[in-house]
Amino acid sequence: MKTIEWGILIVNYLFLGGLSAGIFFVSALATYLQEDGQPAYPRIAKYGAMMAPWPVALGSFLLIFDLGNWYRFYKLFLHFRWESPMSIGSWLLLVFTGITFAAFYAWLPEEARHRLFAWLPKRLAFLKRFDLDLSAWRRPLAMLGFPFSIGVGIYTGVLLGAVQSRPFWNTNLVAQMFLFSALSTGTAALILALSINRKSLDFKQVRFLYTLDICFITLEFFIVLPYLIHGELSVRAVQEALKLILGGPYTVAFWLFFMGMGLLLPLFIELWEMKPVLLAKATVHHNKVLAAGAAFLVLTGGYLLRYIFVYAGQISSFR
Amino acid sequence: MADKGKKKRYALVLDSKKCMNCKACVVACKAENGVPVGKFRNWIDEEKRGAYPKLLMTFDPGQCMHCENPSCVRVCPTGASYQRPDGIVLINYSDCIGCRYCMIACPYNARYFREDLGVVDKCTFCVQRVDRGQLPACVETCPSKVRVFGDLDDANGELQALLTTRRYLVKKPETGNGPQLYYLL
Ligand code: SF4
Ligand code: SF4
Repeated sequence: MKTIEWGILIVNYLFLGGLSAGIFFVSALATYLQEDGQPAYPRIAKYGAMMAPWPVALGSFLLIFDLGNWYRFYKLFLHFRWESPMSIGSWLLLVFTGITFAAFYAWLPEEARHRLFAWLPKRLAFLKRFDLDLSAWRRPLAMLGFPFSIGVGIYTGVLLGAVQSRPFWNTNLVAQMFLFSALSTGTAALILALSINRKSLDFKQVRFLYTLDICFITLEFFIVLPYLIHGELSVRAVQEALKLILGGPYTVAFWLFFMGMGLLLPLFIELWEMKPVLLAKATVHHNKVLAAGAAFLVLTGGYLLRYIFVYAGQISSFR
Repeated sequence: MADKGKKKRYALVLDSKKCMNCKACVVACKAENGVPVGKFRNWIDEEKRGAYPKLLMTFDPGQCMHCENPSCVRVCPTGASYQRPDGIVLINYSDCIGCRYCMIACPYNARYFREDLGVVDKCTFCVQRVDRGQLPACVETCPSKVRVFGDLDDANGELQALLTTRRYLVKKPETGNGPQLYYLL
């Protein structure tokens, strides 16, 4: 019986997992790049480390909640099946989430850490010995986390792409598309965090984020394009599947809201903001509203991409 | 079916042209396997074409194809979906976490979700009967003898006889799943 089995919870999960992967990747990059022995982009590094664990933690919770038998989720970790993208992904997610929390802890400001431990009830006072300064671990954790953040970002696409019975998904381009979208949404989340912060936008850090996001969006665009071309030149089942976004029920969502408003418009805004840097040796415009707007659009676009793929993919099939 | 030890490959041959859409197989399956209301392990696909007097109506029974390379088994993260050496694809219900990845990966939409148990289920070729030397319920019930169940590796069996003397097709071979339901032409 043909039914939609994966619904909005899975859409949320794929989005949130990718979001964390992106945030962590950018934050780790900001930690890794150094100037005079100090992180070159300290605010991005810190904000990212503070933000990264939560989306993936929430997403994993949603994923478990979506299972028919949620209390059996531990069985995912009693087996390792290299043929199953979900099995590989669960392990990746577990390690990645651990790393994000470790990085979170390593970046926690000292007083916040002390306050956290001060809350402990008396009986758990022995835990106070973990009130350690791990700031020396920030860079090693960043480097350790790189492959895992990429892994989680790409796995959310492999999960769909590796299903040969659904022609809408069954191409390796979906993995790259989801990865670049994940990196881009992560960057956008950091732009948003910087722009809604009371502190003024710092030119250097904003330029760094804009540059990254422009790269990620461009890469994503040049994956989406071949995905369409490749699909149109593929076998009939794939061509029929693509009709879902070329005249079918997801056409408006895909072209207007994802491609137009979620990809090209924010790209345009970010390029516009960077224009002074690109054309002359001037600074970025420093427009908080535009920055927040572009970031918001990227995030909605990323969410929509997951939505369209999860639903349209399940409808598509061989005849 | 009794001789143990010899390698077996169970399969089903269908002579759809004989099917009259009585759905006795569907009812027999539901009764034998306790399939919940609203869910089906097997079904009849109808196709109508043309208008009187030039018209065509065909009935094609469908169900799990007990694929040679089952994509449901490949994607299952816990190994709950598995293939027996005799080719029958089954689900170990106590290992199934209900992620429904297998349902999405099956090109034949052969699986259904059991909300009451939180697990996925599908046709089992009635293993409980086959392992006792009986035929699957649908095969035994079919009044017009559409269904022939047996062992493909049995050189003198009915399946080999049919598949060497008759033309047949399998559904969606392009998925690479190697379906083991043979539809006679
Ligand atoms: S028909 Fe579907 S459920 Fe049955 S073995 Fe093949 S892939 Fe698995
Ligand atoms: S629903 Fe059950 S049988 Fe299907 S893939 Fe998930 S764990 Fe395996």
